[in-house]
Amino acid sequence: MIPELGQFALLLALVAALVQSVLPIVGAAKRNVLWMQSATTTAVLQLGLIGLAFAALMRSFVVSDFTVRNVVENSNSLKPMLFKVSGTWGSHEGSLLLWVLILALFGAGVAIMGRNVPDGLKARTLSVQAWISVGFLSFMLFTSNPFERVFPPPVDGQDLNPLLQDVGLAMHPPLLYIGYVGFSIVFSFAVAALIEGRIDPAWARWVRPWTLAAWTSLTAGIALGSWWAYYELGWGGWWFWDPVENVSFMPWLLGTALLHSAIVTEKRDAFKSWTILLAILTFSLSLLGTFVVRSGLLTSVHAFAVDPERGLYILGLLGITIVGSLTLYAVRAPKLEAGGIFAPISREGGLLVNNLLLATATAVVLFGTLYPLFVEAVADDKISVGPPFFNASFIPIMLPLIVVMAVGPLLSWKRADLPGVLSRLKWVAALTAIAALVAWYIDTGGPVLAVIAIAVAVWLFFATLREWALRVKLGSAPLAESWRRARGLPRASHGMTLAHAGLAVCILGFTGSSAWKDEVIRFGAPGTEVSIAGFDLRLEKVERLRGPNYFSDMGTFTVTRDGEPVAVMRPERRSYPVAQSQTTEAAIRSTIAGDLYVSITAPADEEAQAAGMWTMRILYEPLVGFIWLGTFMLVGGGLLSLSDRRLRVGAPRRSRVPSAVATPAE
Amino acid sequence: MMWVLFGALALASGLFIALPLRRGASVRSLGRSDSTMAILRDQLAEVDRDRARGLISKAEADAATIEVKRRMLALSRQSEKATMEAGSGRGVLLVAAGLVPALAVVLYLLSGSPDVPSVAFADRADERAESAEIAELAGRLQDQLESDPEGGPTEGWQLLAAVYSRMNRPAAAAEVYGRLLDREDATSATFSLYAEALIQAENGIVTPDAEGALDRAQELDPSNPAATFYKSVAMEQAGARADARDLLLARLDASDGFQPWMESFVARANLLGDQIGADAISLADYAPMLRGPDAADMAAASEMSEEDRGAFIRSMVDGLATRLEENPDDLDGWLRLGRAYAVLGDTEKSRSAYESAEALLADVPQDDPRRAVVRNALGGSSE
Repeated sequence: MIPELGQFALLLALVAALVQSVLPIVGAAKRNVLWMQSATTTAVLQLGLIGLAFAALMRSFVVSDFTVRNVVENSNSLKPMLFKVSGTWGSHEGSLLLWVLILALFGAGVAIMGRNVPDGLKARTLSVQAWISVGFLSFMLFTSNPFERVFPPPVDGQDLNPLLQDVGLAMHPPLLYIGYVGFSIVFSFAVAALIEGRIDPAWARWVRPWTLAAWTSLTAGIALGSWWAYYELGWGGWWFWDPVENVSFMPWLLGTALLHSAIVTEKRDAFKSWTILLAILTFSLSLLGTFVVRSGLLTSVHAFAVDPERGLYILGLLGITIVGSLTLYAVRAPKLEAGGIFAPISREGGLLVNNLLLATATAVVLFGTLYPLFVEAVADDKISVGPPFFNASFIPIMLPLIVVMAVGPLLSWKRADLPGVLSRLKWVAALTAIAALVAWYIDTGGPVLAVIAIAVAVWLFFATLREWALRVKLGSAPLAESWRRARGLPRASHGMTLAHAGLAVCILGFTGSSAWKDEVIRFGAPGTEVSIAGFDLRLEKVERLRGPNYFSDMGTFTVTRDGEPVAVMRPERRSYPVAQSQTTEAAIRSTIAGDLYVSITAPADEEAQAAGMWTMRILYEPLVGFIWLGTFMLVGGGLLSLSDRRLRVGAPRRSRVPSAVATPAE
Repeated sequence: MMWVLFGALALASGLFIALPLRRGASVRSLGRSDSTMAILRDQLAEVDRDRARGLISKAEADAATIEVKRRMLALSRQSEKATMEAGSGRGVLLVAAGLVPALAVVLYLLSGSPDVPSVAFADRADERAESAEIAELAGRLQDQLESDPEGGPTEGWQLLAAVYSRMNRPAAAAEVYGRLLDREDATSATFSLYAEALIQAENGIVTPDAEGALDRAQELDPSNPAATFYKSVAMEQAGARADARDLLLARLDASDGFQPWMESFVARANLLGDQIGADAISLADYAPMLRGPDAADMAAASEMSEEDRGAFIRSMVDGLATRLEENPDDLDGWLRLGRAYAVLGDTEKSRSAYESAEALLADVPQDDPRRAVVRNALGGSSE
């Protein structure tokens, strides 16, 4: 009965979305307040119904109700409870349900919290959001129903891939989806503004919290995915330029551009058409990502061609959304009023460079991601575009961006004094030069790009701090005065500083862990000793242990440096008998200087296996912890900006309820 | 109970959609200029604040103030003149509120499975106990067979393997069949069952081991259909689709009359034929007794006029009748003929066909559903 209730709730949500996709937008055209305001109730209703359906599916997973096909295929009665719960969104059908749930969450968020948004804009925005909702709800109900039943139920479920049994991964899709799908509401705002024919600073202000919320969670989601790859996959890397990663990274890049472009629209009434275009393209890339991941296109173009029903449906949705919105843009955008003018050297100019470089970088990633698919489809040839392509094309675009990024916040609006700004950065430049020299010294003969990257990161970091110091007059005024000023700064300003500095910290981590990585692969029995980056490791023993649903071969390594004991590390190789597969649980010793990373696998050769030999992979990744630290700062910066008081201004009457916009629903 | 809940949910949804009606004519609306003005006023205040704290210079502050004030002015000039219609359109909203539950119920009736109960894993202890019992019995049987100094009877092992297959443990079944291969009484079927279990254990992949067993099965009995079938699967997996199909067709050709395995052969041959662009084949070509209207006949019939179609159907029926006279032991054929005549309105011939069928029922078990068919047909036409 519970699964059927879920199915019924989804159908109700579909019909409610149909109503919402028509009534409010017609109401806005006819100036009918009642119809416009119906958007608020239907949006909240949709959230309630889809939430109910989601809860019904989750309940089926929790009690292992194997009359639901989705539960059979993606769960098992023996699975630990946490992974039964996360199984809810682990499958194709479940993840789509999560997709529409977040879509509804953002819709309801605007309905409830957007009290300062004028009725007309709100009604149109929610109608556009409902169009997307109708598309995906019907896709789910007609091609990928999560509540499909089987009777009589099979004895037990088919286990989930044990790789997916990881807390990081369990939490990863929800965050990533909040980011991905969150851009839908920005898209809806953009399309609504095009329909209305008006984009002004107020519009940009209403949209900003939603862009920020989506951007912040997408950042967290990508970082969590990368963290998962690093700790769980056992490959010793955190980013592989894999298509699945790229499709989440592209909306991030363009979303970052959007975030900055919207600031210009808000402050200076400029970049209007560009902001709208970015809003449309960012969500289009999110949809593209959903299509690429959900259609099975990645496994093989041909696998997709054999069973194309699902893929074609999303492709259709993608086509309608992109072509429709861009056509609307082409018709309406030229009619937008031009905004404020500015000189090439100005805050606007800096943000323009930021936007252009980010858009170019996105195009590079898009090309690298889709080209192999295209070649496979056309020439029936499988090629892969890997890290060398991205490192050679993406990084050179990003480096100048970072250089400009350091200067940008110091420039004033309209017309800036570049020599003056640069003179204020002279200490930063000196520090940068020193850092580059130090890097050069450590890395004699190493990659030139690494030295430049370190220099650029240091430049950005200190320039960001310098900008903040100038604002609060740190050093040039009494400390109490600086404190007073720091408290007086808008939170968005602190957020910017934190996020920019965070990116600098990230770059240090990216560079250190990829340019100065040290790797040893050794094959041997217990007693083998390995030296790496000043550490001496000794494999003491390998034991067979028993976990809740797996067996584990756990190796024990003692780590010493200059004869002093440093740590004991225990990497594991786990076998899951039900799923008949294995995972590597690397042992990682993290310090701020770098991570020591140890994994073991049984050798392929059976004789060697019998002789108790193991393949050991030992890596030293300098500065990798900086990546996670930097990401924390990025996310923290986003949240801090989100809490800015100014984002709530403009409500007709003061409301004491909402304090943060990050969690839009009750 | 379920329908009560559904009803409550649908009702609640409808009421929720109708919620804006409650506020009626006193509805207050937020116009664009009000909220934009609020934002602009805030921007102005922010410029003052920044200036007061010395974050921006006086020149910058003045420029920003002028710009914001200009926007305010522009806004007040183009203020919305059209008035909002507050209370109208209540009917439409009411219809929508009714439509949502109604449409959802219709969609549910089309797509839902209201009869399927939901069963939590914890509530299925009996079922699990039963399968645990079977597993336990299988384990005991295996222990017993293994402790037999003479290696245990072949039938015992075969039973064990069959139980493992049914328990969906193909690897265990393969292991058991594997023990029988060296025995003197190993038949072609032993090898093909072994191969089948291996293939299932490998999720449908024909491994070299399995293929070796298939070859041996064919050696012992070239007509073993299971060996031929999996051999064809192996060929397909090696990329030789046309050969794989030919092998199936050759075995079908070699057979005499209908056999139960033929349907899966035909289906598989057509699947392969589809991929290489060969024409579809029909079971009727190989099992002449079963010839009914095929796809081509149906297509032809759909293009005919009403009269021609009647004549066509009659010719098909007559063909069936002639065949049955030559081969009167075909019970299903008589039933089909009886039904066909009934459809054509020829009660007398229908009755006589059913009577011929009744004569054949003597050998059929008491609970065979065909008895009921004949009983109803004869009982019905006599009234």
